[in-house]
Amino acid sequence: MGSTEERIVAVIMVGGPTKGTRFRPLSLNIPKPLFPLAGQAMVHHPISACKRIPNLAQIYLIGFYEEREFALFVSSVSNELRVPVRYLKEDKPHGSAGGLYNFRDLIMEDNPSHIVLLNCDVCCSFPLPDMLEAHRRYGGMGTILVIKVSPESAYQFGELVADPVTNELLHYAEKPETFVSDRINCGVYIFTPDIFTAIQGVSTQRKDRATLRRVSSFEALQPANRSLPTDFVRLDQDILSPLTGKKQLYVYETMDFWEQIKNPGMSLKSSGLYLAQFRFTSPHLLASGDGTKNATITGDVFIHPSAKVHPTAKIGPNVSISANARIGAGVRLVSCIILDDVEIQENAVVIHAIIGWKSSIGRWSRVQASGDYNAKLGVTILGESVTVEDEVVVINSIVLPNKTLNVSVQEEIIL
Amino acid sequence: MKALILVGGFGTRLRPLTLSYPKPLVDFANKPMILHQIEALEAIGVTEVVLAISYQPEGMLNFLKEFEKKLGIKITCSQETEPLGTAGPLALARDYLVDGSGEPFFVLNSDVISEYPLKQMIEFHKSHGGEASIMVTKVDEPSKYGVVVLEESTGQVERFVEKPKLFVGNKINAGIYLLDPSVLDRIELRPTSIEKEVFPKIAKEKKLYAMVLPGFWMDIGQPRDYITGLRLYLDSLKKKSSPKLAFGPHIIGNVLVDESATIGEGCLIGPDVAIGPGCVVESGVRLSRCTVMRGVRIKKHACVSSSIIGWHSTVGQWARVENMTILGEDVHVGDEIYTNGGVVLPHKEIKSSILKPEIVM
Repeated sequence: MGSTEERIVAVIMVGGPTKGTRFRPLSLNIPKPLFPLAGQAMVHHPISACKRIPNLAQIYLIGFYEEREFALFVSSVSNELRVPVRYLKEDKPHGSAGGLYNFRDLIMEDNPSHIVLLNCDVCCSFPLPDMLEAHRRYGGMGTILVIKVSPESAYQFGELVADPVTNELLHYAEKPETFVSDRINCGVYIFTPDIFTAIQGVSTQRKDRATLRRVSSFEALQPANRSLPTDFVRLDQDILSPLTGKKQLYVYETMDFWEQIKNPGMSLKSSGLYLAQFRFTSPHLLASGDGTKNATITGDVFIHPSAKVHPTAKIGPNVSISANARIGAGVRLVSCIILDDVEIQENAVVIHAIIGWKSSIGRWSRVQASGDYNAKLGVTILGESVTVEDEVVVINSIVLPNKTLNVSVQEEIIL
Repeated sequence: MKALILVGGFGTRLRPLTLSYPKPLVDFANKPMILHQIEALEAIGVTEVVLAISYQPEGMLNFLKEFEKKLGIKITCSQETEPLGTAGPLALARDYLVDGSGEPFFVLNSDVISEYPLKQMIEFHKSHGGEASIMVTKVDEPSKYGVVVLEESTGQVERFVEKPKLFVGNKINAGIYLLDPSVLDRIELRPTSIEKEVFPKIAKEKKLYAMVLPGFWMDIGQPRDYITGLRLYLDSLKKKSSPKLAFGPHIIGNVLVDESATIGEGCLIGPDVAIGPGCVVESGVRLSRCTVMRGVRIKKHACVSSSIIGWHSTVGQWARVENMTILGEDVHVGDEIYTNGGVVLPHKEIKSSILKPEIVM
């Protein structure tokens, strides 16, 4: 393999605004891929991971958001990481594989030997260089990243069965009702350009069936795929599932962390996982302090250089403080994300919460939640420009943007 | 003559509707809320309306230009950069309101609907010769609001009492004022309350007079009052024998149906229903005490009461929607689903019943 000739193109699927309303209320103010985890946009993490791949030629972000929503981010991350990043807007839904196929000409422009496909809303260590090496060894068309989960939780994902020696993918079941396997699909893939042929095959098959339906009334009654347009191709059900056992697809298992970031609570958990990862990969990004010149820091904490934190505050573990935030004297922050321009006044306490841009937390007020990342109200979320007045208590609640709380609330959603 | 409408900010009390449109553009009785007021002002000869806003959402300017053209009235926006309270915005818009003619100008609160007897108010203002006139309205529970204590025969205002614990009167500030330009000299450009700071001063000088508002009044800034307000509004249309009200064997009570909406066979519509442009109400549907906004489809045999169905939403076959269910824009309630007070944010599908009042994000 002439590795100096080989070029890699990465594609990150970022979704769109009306998909995934589960990220509300945060998604009311910012596209989910740009929400900061451990001080960097959600999509920044897979992008930096791609940068570690040798011979990376280009990164494409594909989604349904308007181009202008990503323009600033794309130009800034391209500069920062010195890798060309470009955002491509899908005109209509094509499915997870159809979207990739839709832009195949652009993707193949660099004549890549391999295409790395990632979902933006997964929190992962993205072991791409090792995975690529494994993919080359297997010699197949595609390699899928898998992770072992508890058998009770596996049903939420795509379950994969692989040969323990060759790592060939033998069977794939998407969200099965009964237990198939405790290895699940992480949403990270490496393909050779043959993937496009496979996607085209599915499209053509659909077209033929559509033609058949027009001439045979029996075919028209078949429920499978009846309502899917011919260019709507799903990666898992339509491509991976049929190719199992044909020595085309392989799996690569990661032993590191992995989470799906579907709701705001999970973004807090993911932020913590990335902060913990920084301790090994980029310890200079983490804050430190012992209460003398700087605030007392415990555990993994990120503080943006422009944020001001009073030395008598105690911060951490798992706290991320964004640009221009002001943390007052005697404040205690535990397990929270403090977004840009937030002001937290003296002696306030914030535990298991996300405090939205420009919000203001009053003196001696308390904003907290149970910390159950999957519960609807397990992490307290304050939207943009929310004011919590002095001494008010907010527990297990969600507050939409531009509200003022002057009485304490518990277990409430405030529109 | 000039007028100022206090539009305010984000309209959070009317969410989820205001997540799709700014509050002044949310439809009430098939017309954007602010259009009710602008039309009433235009009808008595106001030539310029200033909207006092605290944030300008995209798209609002286009709507305003459209209204300007259609009504032949000038509409400008005066945007505060920091919160100015209920009086500060008047100072901010000073240059638009004062033209040297000495004519008084109207100030309206954008959340209010009423019959807007503005001509009578002008005559009242001229007759008492004071500096400021305010409309007051009689309510059952005055302690929920600010009470205006006035001298019955002249209407001269003695004082304001905010949320009184003991009964002092049953007239409250209706949010409609007619002010001489000299009132602006009393307002500094800083956060100021018109009820707590400005009016009490004028009342002390015995220059503030109140007129009891004839007809209905409602603050429709939140969904429950919006639904009550529709009943009052349609009632007043009935009293005027308005041709706008629908009639027919399938109509009970006061019902407004846009001419581009279609209603199927075997329906029973009313009382107190407004059906907006482009709506499709299929056969066998029962609608009562509800607002159906533009582009909504209500499928066969469904039953909707005491609810607001947001723009372009659908209500499935045999679905039952009731008890202050508020559907935001583009919400789709599945067939046979029951929702009891569900408040649903835009772009959602409801595939399982909502048994008790709940917010669905």
